[in-house]
Amino acid sequence: MAYSFPEEVLEHVFSFLTSDKDRNAVSLVCKSWYEIERWCRRRIFVGNCYAVSPEIVIRRFPEVRAVEIKGKPHFADFNLVPEGWGAYVYPWIAAMSAACPLLEEIKLKRMVVTDESLELISKSFKNFKVLVLSSCEGFTTDGLASIAANCRNLRELDLRESEVEDLSGHWLSHFPDNYTSLVSLNISCLGSEVSFSALERLVARSPNLRTLRLNRAVPLEKLPNLLRRAPQLVELGTGAYSAEIRSDTYSNLAEAFSACKQLKGLSGFWDAIPSYLPAMLHVCSGITSLNLSYATIQSPDLVQLVTQCRNLQRLWVLDYIEDRGLEALAASCKDLQELRVFPSDPFGAEPNVSLTEQGLVSVSEGCPKLQSVLYFCRQMSNAALVAIARNRPNLIRFRLCILEPRVPDYLTLEPLDTGFGAIVENCKELRRLSLSGLLTDRVFKYIGTHAKKLEMLSIAFAGDSDLGLHHVLSGCESLRKLEIRDCPFGDKALLANAAKLETMRSLWMSSCSVSYGACKLLGQKLPRLNVEVIDERGPPDSRPESCPVERLYVYRTVSGRRVDMPGFVWTMDEDASLRFS
Amino acid sequence: MELQLELALSSSSARGSDPNQDCERRRKRSFDAAFLGIMGSVGAPQTSPLLIWDDKEQINGELHDQKRIYDLATSNRNGRVEDDVLVGWPPVKSWRKQFRHHSRRDCATNYVDVENGSGGGGGGRGLNSMYVKVKMEGVGIGRKVDLSIHRSYQTLIAKLIAMFGKFEDNAETYKLTYQDMEGDWLLAGDMPWETFVHSAQRLKLQKNGY
Repeated sequence: MAYSFPEEVLEHVFSFLTSDKDRNAVSLVCKSWYEIERWCRRRIFVGNCYAVSPEIVIRRFPEVRAVEIKGKPHFADFNLVPEGWGAYVYPWIAAMSAACPLLEEIKLKRMVVTDESLELISKSFKNFKVLVLSSCEGFTTDGLASIAANCRNLRELDLRESEVEDLSGHWLSHFPDNYTSLVSLNISCLGSEVSFSALERLVARSPNLRTLRLNRAVPLEKLPNLLRRAPQLVELGTGAYSAEIRSDTYSNLAEAFSACKQLKGLSGFWDAIPSYLPAMLHVCSGITSLNLSYATIQSPDLVQLVTQCRNLQRLWVLDYIEDRGLEALAASCKDLQELRVFPSDPFGAEPNVSLTEQGLVSVSEGCPKLQSVLYFCRQMSNAALVAIARNRPNLIRFRLCILEPRVPDYLTLEPLDTGFGAIVENCKELRRLSLSGLLTDRVFKYIGTHAKKLEMLSIAFAGDSDLGLHHVLSGCESLRKLEIRDCPFGDKALLANAAKLETMRSLWMSSCSVSYGACKLLGQKLPRLNVEVIDERGPPDSRPESCPVERLYVYRTVSGRRVDMPGFVWTMDEDASLRFS
Repeated sequence: MELQLELALSSSSARGSDPNQDCERRRKRSFDAAFLGIMGSVGAPQTSPLLIWDDKEQINGELHDQKRIYDLATSNRNGRVEDDVLVGWPPVKSWRKQFRHHSRRDCATNYVDVENGSGGGGGGRGLNSMYVKVKMEGVGIGRKVDLSIHRSYQTLIAKLIAMFGKFEDNAETYKLTYQDMEGDWLLAGDMPWETFVHSAQRLKLQKNGY
C-alpha cells in the first residue's frame, strides 16, 4: 500500500493510546489496524470475568503484560451473593501461565483466589511485578508466602479489603534477604500479627518503598521504627493508633513523622485516641488523602485534625465528624474532591451522632471541587438535595444511603423524588448514583430523562411499578451496570427493554418480582446474554412459572454459559427446558 | 505525499489518485455504520423487544396486577432473614462492621479517657449490637446474629437453628464452632459465655460425626 505506514510506525503511534476505549476504536478501523493493535496491546481490563474466556483474551492479545479482572457482582459486598457462586481466578492463571510468561501485573476484584493460584502465579511469571487483590477471598497466608518467596521482581503487593485466612505471620519472612524492589505493600486486611522483625528488615532494605499500609496488629509504639527506616513514604497506613499515654512514645512518634517529608496519604487509625493525633501535625499540610473510617475519635478532635489538612482532596471518615465537623471541613479544605461518611452504628435504632443532611449541604456549599460523595445518614429532605444539586453541578458520583429503607423527606413527609431529580438534572456529568429513602416511579422518570451520562445505578426499596424500571432502561443511554434489590419491578419492563441488556455489562435484581417464566424467555431469546437465576429454594421449575425468582443476574458474554455454576444457580437458555424435564 | 486519512476499509490497489473524488467518499462508511452498528446501539437494538411497552396500559390498568405480583414477591422475601434484620442493609461491608465492634469493646476496657466523656456517646451506645456472621455447613448463604441479645449458649444455638429453618429437626446433628480473634476455629461451649461473646468473630454450624 503506497499510503500506509509501516507497522512499526503504527505500533509506535498506538503506544500513546492508553485508554481501552481508544484502543478498541482503533482496532475497528480496518483489519490491518486490528492486527497491529492486538499484537501491541499490553493492558487488558475484563469488567466481568464471565463475559469472555481466558482463551479468547489470550488468543487475541498474546503480548499482554497487565491484566485486571472483576468477578462477583457489587452486591456481593453486602452478602447478597451466596458463597460458592463463582468468580474463580484459577482458570485465568492457568491459561496465562502457559501462554503469557512475560505477564507482569494481575489486579483482581471480588474474585476467589486460592493458594494454588497464588503459587502458580509465583512460579509462572519471571518478571511478575504487581499483585492487587481487592475484596478477594479464598487464600491463606501460605499463598502469600509463595508470592514472597518466588517473585524476585515484585513491586506491589496490595491485599486491600480481602479476606485472608491467617495461618501464620511468618509469610513475610519468605521475602529473600536480597529482595529490595518493594514499592507498595498493603496488608491492612490481615487479622493477626505479622512477624515484626521481618517487616522491619523488609522495610529497611526497600529504598523504593512508597506505600506501606500496616494491619491493626502493628502496635503504635513500633510505628516509629518503621517510619525511621522509610522516610520517603508517600502513603502510610498505621496499625492500631492507641497506646498507653507515655511521653517517650509520643515524642518518638512525632519525631518519626516529622522526618517523613513526602507523605501525602494516611489511613489506618484503628482505635485511635486523640492524645496521639497531634504527633502527626507536621505532615498534615502535605496530606491529600485521609482515611479515618476506622478511627472512633469524636468530633472536636476529628475536626482539629481534619482542618489542619488544608490540601485535602479525599476524606473518608465516620459520622462522628457530625454536621459541625463537616462545616469546619468545608471552611478549611477547599480542594476537597471526594467525601465518604460511614455510619458508626449502622444497626442502631436511634441516632448516636449529630450528623444530618446539613453536613453534606455545608460541604457542597464550601468545596467547589467536590465531585464524589458517599454519605450515610438518617434523614434527608428534598430541599437539601436540591441545594446540593445547585451548589455542585460538577458531581460525578453521588451515593446516598439513608439508613432506614423508605424514609420520606423528614420535613414534608413526601418522597425524595424531587430531590434526586434535581441531582440528575443539574449534575450533567453524573456517572454513578445510589438512591435511598422513599421513592416513587417519578424519580425514575427524572433519571431516565436527565441522567444521560449515568453508567452505574443502585436502587433499593424504591419505586411502585414496572414503569420505574422502564424509565431507567429506556432512558439511560450510558447505563452499564444496574443493581436493584427489594423493588416491585416485574417482567414487563425487563422484557420490553430486553435488547438494552446487551448494551450493558450486567443487571442484578434480587427480591424483586421477576418471574421464572420471564427469565426463561429472556434467556432463550437473547443468546448473547447469560441469564442466571440464583435461588436457594431448589430448581426454579419445581415452582409455577409465575413465581418470582430470588435473585437474577444478567450479563452479556461472548463465551456462552458458565461451566462452573454451583447448585443454586441456573442458566436460562435454549436448553433450559430440556435440562429440567 | 499527501496524507490520506479515511475511515474506509483498506481498499484494493485501485485507488483514485485524487483523494477527493466522490467515489471515495461514497465508499467510506459513516461513523454510525462503522462503530455503532458493531458495538451495539441504544437507539437501534439488534433484537426486537420481547414485549411491547404500552404506556397507557402500564400506567392505568396494571397497578392491581403489580400489587399482586408484589405481594407474591414479598412472601418470597429472601432479603429478610428475620423480622428485624435485613440481609445486606445498610450496605456497609462486613469487615467495616467487624472493626467497629472491636473498637467499641476495646474502648470500654482500655482507653476510657476520652470516648465516654465527650459528646456523641458513640463508645457506650455501640455495645448494644454485636453482629457476627453465621454459616451453616451445606447452606450457601450466611446469616448474621446479634450475640448481645443472648445470655447463654443454649439460647444462641436455638436461635441459630431456627434461623436456618429447614434444618430444625436435625438440631442434634450440628455443633457450634467459632473463630476467635487469633483466627483459630474452636468448639463453642468450653469457656464462659461472656468471654465467648467477646472473642467470637464468626460462627459456623458444622455437621457432627464425620
